[in-house]
Amino acid sequence: MDRYVRLEKLGEGTYATVYKGKNRLTSDVVALKEIHLDAEEGAPSTAIREISLMKELKHPNIMRLFDVIHTERTLTLVFEYMDQDLKRFMDAHGGALDPVLCRNFMFQLLRGIAFCHENRVLHRDLKPQNLLINARMELKLGDFGLARAFGIPVNTFSNEVVTLWYRAPDVLLGSRNYSTSIDIWSTGCIMAEMYTGKPLFPGKTNEDQLIKIFKLLGTPTEESWPRVSEFSEYKPTFPLYPPSDLRVRLPMLDQISLDLITRMLQYQPHLRINAKDALVHVYFREIIQQVAAAEQAAAVAALAAGGGAAAHHHPGGPYH
Amino acid sequence: MSALSLANTQPTLAQLVAPPSQTDGVPVATERCLRILGAELINSASLLLSLPQVASSTAQVLFQRFFFCASFRDNSVLRIASACLFLSTKLEECPRKPRDLINVFNFLCQLRRGHTPTILDVDFPKYTAIKNDMMDGEMHLLAKLGFNVHVQHPHGFMINYLQSLDLTSNKELMQRAWNYLNDSGRTLAVVLFQPPTIAAASIYMAANDVGEPLPLSPPWWEVFDAPLEDLQTIEALLRTMYATKVPKSLPLEEPIQVAATR
Repeated sequence: MDRYVRLEKLGEGTYATVYKGKNRLTSDVVALKEIHLDAEEGAPSTAIREISLMKELKHPNIMRLFDVIHTERTLTLVFEYMDQDLKRFMDAHGGALDPVLCRNFMFQLLRGIAFCHENRVLHRDLKPQNLLINARMELKLGDFGLARAFGIPVNTFSNEVVTLWYRAPDVLLGSRNYSTSIDIWSTGCIMAEMYTGKPLFPGKTNEDQLIKIFKLLGTPTEESWPRVSEFSEYKPTFPLYPPSDLRVRLPMLDQISLDLITRMLQYQPHLRINAKDALVHVYFREIIQQVAAAEQAAAVAALAAGGGAAAHHHPGGPYH
Repeated sequence: MSALSLANTQPTLAQLVAPPSQTDGVPVATERCLRILGAELINSASLLLSLPQVASSTAQVLFQRFFFCASFRDNSVLRIASACLFLSTKLEECPRKPRDLINVFNFLCQLRRGHTPTILDVDFPKYTAIKNDMMDGEMHLLAKLGFNVHVQHPHGFMINYLQSLDLTSNKELMQRAWNYLNDSGRTLAVVLFQPPTIAAASIYMAANDVGEPLPLSPPWWEVFDAPLEDLQTIEALLRTMYATKVPKSLPLEEPIQVAATR
């Protein structure tokens, strides 16, 4: 623990306290997440998951875990420092965000998710509080306390995942063999919230959460969602709502934005767009062009800096 | 696949050449017996706790991995086996109360000693002793493994392979292959080979057992990228394990003593 100086407290969670910290040697600012070890339960499973996954996940849109320090009674995770989370950021900006910023954040969010999913990691708890923002307007996924690796065998996972408001309808209905699509549902909810400044489905209980979804998207039926009635939490007594017009609920979204969000908020998990495809949706056309131009400029700069011969050594490269 | 690999971690060359227990003077055969003892203890405990197979298999792999990072001279089988199962119930999302784990492990220890099993109350010194051992063991395990606690299993691969080989109607073959997979946790196969290879090996052994002819041109295992030598090595590891008789005298609750002179 001597490597870091503990500064002010940043927040307190159910199983950890987060402090701002400073590396004594490099003066780098970090976030120190101190996990209280419970004498009755041993190492918290959230901490085990978070460490085992985050130490491997290195991506510009995922909070970096630098170090794990283990002392007698605490376990401290050393993370890269981020200024605030998306929830506080939105509160500080009066709720709704500028559409250009929304698009920029969505792109970064989906890049982080795509990386997780490519590496077969489900986040399972995406919400504004778990998305961190720094002064450079970089957005990173944090809090992997509920994440898990998914292997080839389809396990039945716990259905106690994802904060109610961002929880996918299949999970709310009792599904336990969900996959990457649950993170996409949460992303759709977060997208709406960035534009409106208000949570899309702020349910109070499991059933209330479903009702709120049904009121907007229509109550699912055997026709719109085959075998929906087989879910353990499905009730034939659900009130039958027709789908409402998304344009009325989300007036600040244009046609293209509505198309993307509709693809994310699909009832049937397999119909939800995946993160990789979402990233090439026309909604991101301008950003894609900017990224491509930036990458090209960087490549040109690298060539100019003496990498000229490299092009000949890599016949499969982008210039071939 | 990208750089992040959720493939099972394998021991390094240095660990393979000089496993910690052998460096400490534990004979090779004794280490093998202690590994079998630990894996069996995990299996029995998970049966008594009605845990899913995956919890038992994960714990066994963690146990096998741990003893490439630490020695049996410093860690009792009970301490690490209980810690592995405790940790795997969290990893595989089938949590059990520490109290239940402690009582099950105590029960199995008493049984091995030939004592009449009794239930431990939380205020018994023995309860606290096992609990502290298990909790400390868990932290020790996490630290030694550097939190590399992901475990992939061969079972899913095996089902896919059996389906593509059109063997799912052969119940006996399937059961045998499944048994071999579950038994592989008692051998080093689970740390030396990746799950797809172990899956192929279990089918290889089961097909030989029941005399089921499988395609040989090209050999079916090549289709699954599993070299014949690997399948035969896994078979040898399993056969050696089946032939090994674990001495009753091996300590379960204390680390193994090694004679001072080697």
